[in-house]
Amino acid sequence: MVQLASGASVSERLQPAKPVLSWVTTIARVVLAGVLIVAGALKIGAPALSVQAVRAYELLPDSVAQVVGYGLPVLEIITGLLLLVGLFTRVAAGVGGLLMVAFVIGIASAWARGLRIDCGCFGGDGTLAAGQDPNYFWELVRDLGLLVCAAWIVVKPASRLSLDSALGFTGERETSDEDGADGGEDDRV
Amino acid sequence: MSKRTTEAARARIAAQREALRKQEQRKRITMIVTIAVVVVIAAVFTVWTVRQGTSEEASGGSVPVTVEKDGTVVMAQPGVTAPVVDVFEDFQCPACKQFEEVSGPTLKNLATEGKAKIVFHPITIFSQEPTKGNSLRAASAARCVTDGQQWLAYHDKLYANQPSESVTGFTADELIKWGKEAGVTAPDFDNCVREQRNVAAHQEFSSKTMSTQKLGGTPTLKLNGKELDTNVAFVPSSLREAVESAGK
Repeated sequence: MVQLASGASVSERLQPAKPVLSWVTTIARVVLAGVLIVAGALKIGAPALSVQAVRAYELLPDSVAQVVGYGLPVLEIITGLLLLVGLFTRVAAGVGGLLMVAFVIGIASAWARGLRIDCGCFGGDGTLAAGQDPNYFWELVRDLGLLVCAAWIVVKPASRLSLDSALGFTGERETSDEDGADGGEDDRV
Repeated sequence: MSKRTTEAARARIAAQREALRKQEQRKRITMIVTIAVVVVIAAVFTVWTVRQGTSEEASGGSVPVTVEKDGTVVMAQPGVTAPVVDVFEDFQCPACKQFEEVSGPTLKNLATEGKAKIVFHPITIFSQEPTKGNSLRAASAARCVTDGQQWLAYHDKLYANQPSESVTGFTADELIKWGKEAGVTAPDFDNCVREQRNVAAHQEFSSKTMSTQKLGGTPTLKLNGKELDTNVAFVPSSLREAVESAGK
């Protein structure tokens, strides 16, 4: 794959090709990471509430709601930390994007069914306080915006200030980019 | 092309291949170590969060429970008057069911240990059917129970059998059946439940409680009159710590 016969050294090929775009990816990483870490941190300490927030959507059977209630905050924090430091960036952004898709489906479905719940995104048990109205529209806008961030990172995972490039995990991707595949799958990672 | 240049090119290619192989190997080791670190961190978070959600075992010790005239129920060892934990809950509210499952044993243990006086305030927060009717029937039925221990058993039974918010539940027949299962011996319990004798008294108590206590929802826990954050109320270890430190 790496065309060493061309004379270019391996280290030269590890450098991201387009500096401006790699900074955009860094910003997208920090935004997505920040929201995921805060959302996870506000829920992880009280998993019983988190489970209740999942149940409020009335979408999942109870045993699955338990697992999601406990597991989601951990997944959010781990994914957020990976994005923050730029480690396994593409995989982490893929997971973050899937989470956003799941949240969008959940919130849209709650809205469509006429449920009156809090999204439970940043803690709480999913019930609205007295006199409070659901905020589905802005919750959807926020999650769709974050989905765009995730999609950008998946397409352009090479970024500044990332452990992936510091540890040399990005070499293959850069090569495949140059090969014409638009950041195609890297089956070695 | 001369033989010498071909050999030199071959040697160069071989050296580069070797360098690449070593680089790949280093990369693989780094990758494995990194993945291991991530997995360990995830495991630590998981263990911690599971612990935060783990309920106490009910000690099974005895503690007097008294049904008061106003509809509140007090659970405390004789002479224990503080700290006071007020529990405002609705038999139909799903978060209250979750609270009872997670932190109910902690409240009982704290009362049994003489570390707190627990006061239950069953109220109705719902204003639409079917939840309103469900809640009123259940709370009214609970008021038909005069013995404290039986009330507590019935209270637990009602939460264990809480209907969905979208269906009519807590029917008279069910409420009577669960009363028998909970060991309720109050005379005239069946008729009391069926006639919903206590609905008016409960509604009055409920609306008075909500306005005087300024409740935003249920469950609400107050420790010595001060509202406890749900991040404390729903975490058994944090709840115990808060109550114990209020008692010092």
